[in-house]
Amino acid sequence: MLDMKAISKVYQTEMVQTHALRDFNLHVAEGEFVAVTGPSGSGKTTFLNIAGMLEPFSGGQYCLDGVDIGKLNDNARADLRNQKIGFIFQGFNLIPDLNLYENVEVPLRYRGIKSAERKRRVEECLELVGLAGRAKHLPQQLSGGQQQRVAIARALAGRPRFLLADEPTGNLDSLMARQVMELLEQINREGATIVMVTHDPELARRAPRNIQIVDGRVTDFTLYQGRSAETPLAAGG
Amino acid sequence: MFELKPTINALMRSKLGAVLLILQLAITLAIVSNAVSIIQDRLTYLNKDTGYPEAEIFKFNALNFDKNLDLLQQVELDEQSLRDLNGVIDATAVSSVVLSGSGSSGGMQLKPEPQESKRVNMGYVTGDEHLLNTLGVKVSEGRDFTEADVVVIDESDARPSVIIVSRALSDELFGQGKGLGETLYWGADPLTIIGIVDTMANQWPKSSFGTKTAMIPMIRVGNFQKFLVRTEPQARAQVMRQIEELMLASHRERVISDVTGLDQKKARYDAKDVLMMRMLMTLIVVLVVVTALGVFGLSTFNISKRTKQIGTRRALGARKSAIVRYFVVENALICSVGLVLGGAAAVLLGQKLMNWYSVPALSYHFIATTAGLLLLMSLLSVLMPALRAANISPSIATRSV
Ligand SMILES: Nc1ncnc2c1ncn2[C@@H]1O[C@H](COP(=O)(O)OP(=O)(O)OP(=O)(O)O)[C@@H](O)[C@H]1O
Ligand SMILES: [Mg+2]
Repeated sequence: MLDMKAISKVYQTEMVQTHALRDFNLHVAEGEFVAVTGPSGSGKTTFLNIAGMLEPFSGGQYCLDGVDIGKLNDNARADLRNQKIGFIFQGFNLIPDLNLYENVEVPLRYRGIKSAERKRRVEECLELVGLAGRAKHLPQQLSGGQQQRVAIARALAGRPRFLLADEPTGNLDSLMARQVMELLEQINREGATIVMVTHDPELARRAPRNIQIVDGRVTDFTLYQGRSAETPLAAGG
Repeated sequence: MFELKPTINALMRSKLGAVLLILQLAITLAIVSNAVSIIQDRLTYLNKDTGYPEAEIFKFNALNFDKNLDLLQQVELDEQSLRDLNGVIDATAVSSVVLSGSGSSGGMQLKPEPQESKRVNMGYVTGDEHLLNTLGVKVSEGRDFTEADVVVIDESDARPSVIIVSRALSDELFGQGKGLGETLYWGADPLTIIGIVDTMANQWPKSSFGTKTAMIPMIRVGNFQKFLVRTEPQARAQVMRQIEELMLASHRERVISDVTGLDQKKARYDAKDVLMMRMLMTLIVVLVVVTALGVFGLSTFNISKRTKQIGTRRALGARKSAIVRYFVVENALICSVGLVLGGAAAVLLGQKLMNWYSVPALSYHFIATTAGLLLLMSLLSVLMPALRAANISPSIATRSV
């Protein structure tokens, strides 16, 4: 599904050059649930942004579903984001002027889906996150946990095969965080590939595969097949 | 694809900026379309042919102090010396000066007073058989005055019996194309129309009867006498410089004043209109610039306020073009509401102006054209901020909190 080879990312500002990622290698197979941890400033968000085509990378090769992302133009990347990727943000990023229904509908409109089909999908996704009764509410009328559930509904509405989440529970208390995690696990069981950045070790442990990013490089821990969390299976870089 | 419904809903939820812009557009449309209509009307008037070669004609006044002077003899002497002057085509003493805003007006009727009959307002000028030639106009029907037509008003009660009128006056009195040889009444006096001039404005060209003019072959002398002179096209300035000396040479005890070209007379008469046009144009420019800045400012503000949402939309799969379209559609929606309101306001304002001042009815194509141009301007003003919005990086979605 996701295949990164020797990806590097350099941020050039007037004063300094920041190597946010260096010689970054990662393969994520279809249907995996990967938790990404690492110290602050290590490059987790940078990795996620590149995986989601929100930012260009400086070097290396990135293939998503066999498509070489480096060769795509801006419109093609936007379309690919729209079709294959669902985003869940730490700050929820709901559009404040739109009600819940309209928020969930946004990616469907960009895909040019007909109104009747949009309605079906929006209602189905709001149902899934347990907010069907509040379709007409505005985001500011909801709690943080509810807002994040709407954001998940929005990410799911386009039926993406690949979900990217940057600290989706970072702004939530532990109860809400667990609910969101359960929702993600359910979505994963239904077939979606998930990559989730988190600071919460307990949530990370619930994911079948953990990777750690330190100083722009990846360290891979794989928890299934009875291995312990502390045994590195493969070290990148 | 145009996201109309959510755009409208979003607008309804944060109205203030939109409402201000709607008001601004409405006011601009109402004022600008009326101002353009008034300017157009004034321009039509200013460019309208008066019938006279204004740049070749000038006037002056002679004010006599000599109680023993034979005024009639002096006028004839003056006219003769003017006509003999190098560069002069013709000259005549007149009762008043066309295009100047002052003179005599009255009504011409189909029947003698006190009988009731159709009455048409007009301005009239009296002079001798040189009058038409001095004014540089020709009859298109009938004939010019002859010496025998001219009557001197003195103790005897001699009255003129013929008249030359402008086409507008004869048409109004007798019907389209008619009037030559007909008799009209000036008070109780009958006058036969011996000639008709197609275009010949009177002393008040912007009045409602500005084209209705009568020329009457009659001399009434006084101590204050006005003269008109027509010169060769290039000779006017030089002739005008000689006038005072020439007049004083034949008789010293008088004052020569207001030696002024007919074009300058008209310019003075029109000065208020020109000033009003300039003010209206300034008003239009100011309003349009302020509105453009308003659209530009609101879009810029909206975009900086919505940076994160734009990044999120991009992350969710919006192409750059979709972001541009969003802002353009939003702007077009606001604009349409403003322009519809403004169109209605323009009609109302036009009616009020028509009642209060003598402005012509506002024709709808001025509103439509102005609205179209405002829409275009508004779209151009939103385009730059919208293009900037489209270039907001989708990574804003994860980078800003
Ligand atoms: N737009 C940018 N310009 C310059 N440097 C940047 C930019 N974005 C990120 N960086 C730098 O790149 C490095 C990696 O940042 P990144 O946001 O990926 O870290 P992170 O692992 O997500 O951290 P956190 O856990 O705090 O979210 C940091 O040193 C950061 O300062
Ligand atoms: Mg981060």
